[in-house]
Amino acid sequence: MSKREKHRAIKKKTGKIRNKLLIFIMPTVFVLVAILVIITSTLSGRSLKKKSTEQLEASMSTQVDNISSWMNQCLKYFATVKKELEASRPSQAEMQTVLDSFYGFDKNAPEGLYVITAEGRLLKPSESALELSDPISSEAYKQGITRIDMDFGPAYKNAEGKYVITAAGILNDNTSDIKVLAGDVTLDNVTIIVNSGVKMEDASSFLVDKENGTILAHRDDNLVSTTLDTSNSDAMMAGIAKKIDNRDYATTTIAGKMVGVKEIEGTDWILVSYIDENVIFADVRSLVTLLVLIGVIALIIILMITTLVVNRVIAPLTPITGYIKDMASGDFTIDVKTTSNDEIGIMGGQVSEFVGSMRNMIQSIADESDRLKEESIRSDEVSRDMSEASTAQADAMRQLNETVDQLAVAVNDIAENATILANVVSDTKDNSEKAEQSMNETVRISRQGREDMEQLKKAMRDIYDSNEKLVQSIGKVGEASDQITNIVGLIGNISEETNLLSLNASIEAARAGEVGKGFAVVATEIGKLAQTSSESSQNIANLIEDVRNLIENVVEQSDVSAKNIERNTELIGAAVDTFDRIFQNIQLSSNMISDMIKGIEQVNDVATNVAAISEEQAASADEILSTSQNMVEQAESISRSSQEVADSSHELAETSDKLTSYVQQFKV
Amino acid sequence: MKIGIKKLLSLLIVAACVLTCISGCSGSTTSGGKKYLFCTYNLDDFRTAIMESIKAAAQSEGATLEVYVGEETASDQVNRIKKAKSEGFSALIVNPIDVSTALQLEVAAEGLPIVFVNNKPDDSVLKSNKYIYAGSNETEAGELQVEWAIKKLGNQSSLNVVVLKGEQGYSATIGRTKAIKYSMKDAGINANYVFADYANWSEEVAKEKMKTFLLTGQKFDVVFCNNDSMALGAVKALKEAGIDPADVPVCGVDATKDGCASIANGEMSFTVFQNAKGQGEAAMKAALKLAAGESITSLDGATKNGLYVWVPFEPVDASNVNSYK
Repeated sequence: MSKREKHRAIKKKTGKIRNKLLIFIMPTVFVLVAILVIITSTLSGRSLKKKSTEQLEASMSTQVDNISSWMNQCLKYFATVKKELEASRPSQAEMQTVLDSFYGFDKNAPEGLYVITAEGRLLKPSESALELSDPISSEAYKQGITRIDMDFGPAYKNAEGKYVITAAGILNDNTSDIKVLAGDVTLDNVTIIVNSGVKMEDASSFLVDKENGTILAHRDDNLVSTTLDTSNSDAMMAGIAKKIDNRDYATTTIAGKMVGVKEIEGTDWILVSYIDENVIFADVRSLVTLLVLIGVIALIIILMITTLVVNRVIAPLTPITGYIKDMASGDFTIDVKTTSNDEIGIMGGQVSEFVGSMRNMIQSIADESDRLKEESIRSDEVSRDMSEASTAQADAMRQLNETVDQLAVAVNDIAENATILANVVSDTKDNSEKAEQSMNETVRISRQGREDMEQLKKAMRDIYDSNEKLVQSIGKVGEASDQITNIVGLIGNISEETNLLSLNASIEAARAGEVGKGFAVVATEIGKLAQTSSESSQNIANLIEDVRNLIENVVEQSDVSAKNIERNTELIGAAVDTFDRIFQNIQLSSNMISDMIKGIEQVNDVATNVAAISEEQAASADEILSTSQNMVEQAESISRSSQEVADSSHELAETSDKLTSYVQQFKV
Repeated sequence: MKIGIKKLLSLLIVAACVLTCISGCSGSTTSGGKKYLFCTYNLDDFRTAIMESIKAAAQSEGATLEVYVGEETASDQVNRIKKAKSEGFSALIVNPIDVSTALQLEVAAEGLPIVFVNNKPDDSVLKSNKYIYAGSNETEAGELQVEWAIKKLGNQSSLNVVVLKGEQGYSATIGRTKAIKYSMKDAGINANYVFADYANWSEEVAKEKMKTFLLTGQKFDVVFCNNDSMALGAVKALKEAGIDPADVPVCGVDATKDGCASIANGEMSFTVFQNAKGQGEAAMKAALKLAAGESITSLDGATKNGLYVWVPFEPVDASNVNSYK
């Protein structure tokens, strides 16, 4: 990015920040100003109305108090005179003097105080211009006889047509004569108080008699002595009449005017004060106008200030933004320069510090990661070795386990075999005892056999002698057969010569022809006889030969037998010797068997012991087996753990690789 | 920016929750654990009746009530009330010794709400749901007198009326007298006030003034008195003048023992019972409301402006006097 492009981008960003600020600030300020105006106008309107109501009521109070105090002042004066008259109980002449002396004392009662008796006599100050045509029917007397304390009655018009009120009361002088003391007072003073005593600007007042609705005092003289009623054309006046009829004496708004109504205690009068509400709210309206104006100006100023401040404030941010961008791309080789001493300046400084500390940190991270890498590699190797070692150990353990297993089996076998052996030995012992018995039997039998063998030797000698005699007999048979052979030879020779003679006779008979035919038959018969004789002699000769051969064989056989017998005799002698030796051997064997039985008994004991020991060994072997089983499991778990360690250290190695690669992304 | 708005929102919500909790907590607590102080003085029959009624009402509402019967001096009352705030009272019921000191009493209460009883201070010192008056509306007494008289005398076009008023300037005097006048007017009767004077609540003064009036020889149809004592005085004056009180109805206010006895004897004709029990109950209930920071307008007889709790007067004549004796 070229410098110009960068600058433009930042400027664009600045504009964005300003617009954002304005978008948020302007409507907010606008709404706030609007709310402020509404609240202010409402509140000030309300408070102004309240204030005005209070002011109006205060003004009325003042007027009412003034009227009351004026009336009380008059009454007090009259009461003083009355007290004097009651106390002194004057005669008529004395009373005239008293009345004269008070004449002109109170300006409010220009005609002075006067007394009317029940007989209709009027006693008045000498200088008074008061005229009463019929004192008994006068307002003064009519009012006076209704009370003893001096008090004012309702207003009425006197002979001159002026509104007056009369203070009157029965003169209580402890006589049975009724006398009324009275004094007429004009309403001038009251009118002044009503018309001019209003203590509120732009407010007006008038006085009404609530009994008959007559207006007793009003700034507009034309309205005085008119009647206030609900049919009045003036909406306000009609409203006031209605209000009074309803005995509603609260301050209210009627026909756009704020109207206050107040009774004057001790009289039938009501003071009415009113003020146009437009007058009251005029201030509020001007206030609202002012506020709106101020609001608009404030908006414009805020717009300007925001723009200005944003531009001013954000300007130093430009290089810092660049730095931060560089930092974001991992370049910490930058050098931050700060100029201002405001927050942004401080920010620049902080960025600078940040870069420095980041640089150190990344360097140390890099170092650390290198070290970590080495460590992890070493750890990886170690863990791998450990894993292998533990695997080997596990295998070894497993083998050991198998061995122990086999051992256990073997020991068990041994135990079984030892048991079997013990049994066998036991059986053997029995058998040996039987063998000993048999041996003893054998010794006895072999002794008998030896004796039998002796007898056999004697018998053999007899057989030899008989054979010798047989051989001699056979020799004589041989000689007889030789003589027979000679005789048979002779017969054979005669038969051959006969045969030759028959042959010649047959040749001669054949020559004689028919006469010779009978002879030829005899001659053939004689040839046949000669043939047969020859053959028989031959057969005899063969037979004799056979017999001779047989005899020779017998002789030979007898010789052989003799020899065999001789040898047998020798053999028997040898057998007897052997028997002797066997006997001795058997004797020896018998002894040996006895020894052997003793030995077997010892073996039996030993085998029993071996069986017991082997069983114990088998139990021990089982324990060893279970222990070695545990050991195998532990070895396997060690193997697994070390595998995990190996995996972890492998991961560590990978992580440190990654860390290294990340750290390498930073330029420091 | 978004985060900022969210933060703001969550803050607002938390604030709203806290406020709701606080207001909820304060709103939910009723009379439980709160203390009330009732200040009265010089226990006559009527004030005693009010006190007993307030005590009973406090007990049935489960409220703790302390009653202070002080000396009959305004300063004593003010001094007692000054200590109320620090003693942890929640609301006060005060029978003012002098109504003109009402503002001083309010200041002494240091912001605690006050229910005035028996003696009504001026409207200007009462404040909606803060400084209020629980009692009977004086004008009602006058209205009831006129109402009864009209019923008794028949629908006349005009009447000659005698009015014996209490002390000048007293709210009871002004209210009761004023009500007689407008009630007559409202009834369309041309009332001719042949005698209307202050007799200062006194039987003696009333008797004297009545005697003087009788000297004037004016005709009269009815005698209205602002209280029973004056009515009894009027009755005496009539009797002395040889007039049978039964011929001219004499009306009083308060239904005092003597007044009721006089009615039972056929001398006085009418009186108005001021319900002390009802006033005490109304005062206690109003105090509970004010202590809880609630409006009294939901109470029976309360005015919309939150200044008064009116307890009705009850008319008493020969027909029902036995139940009031």
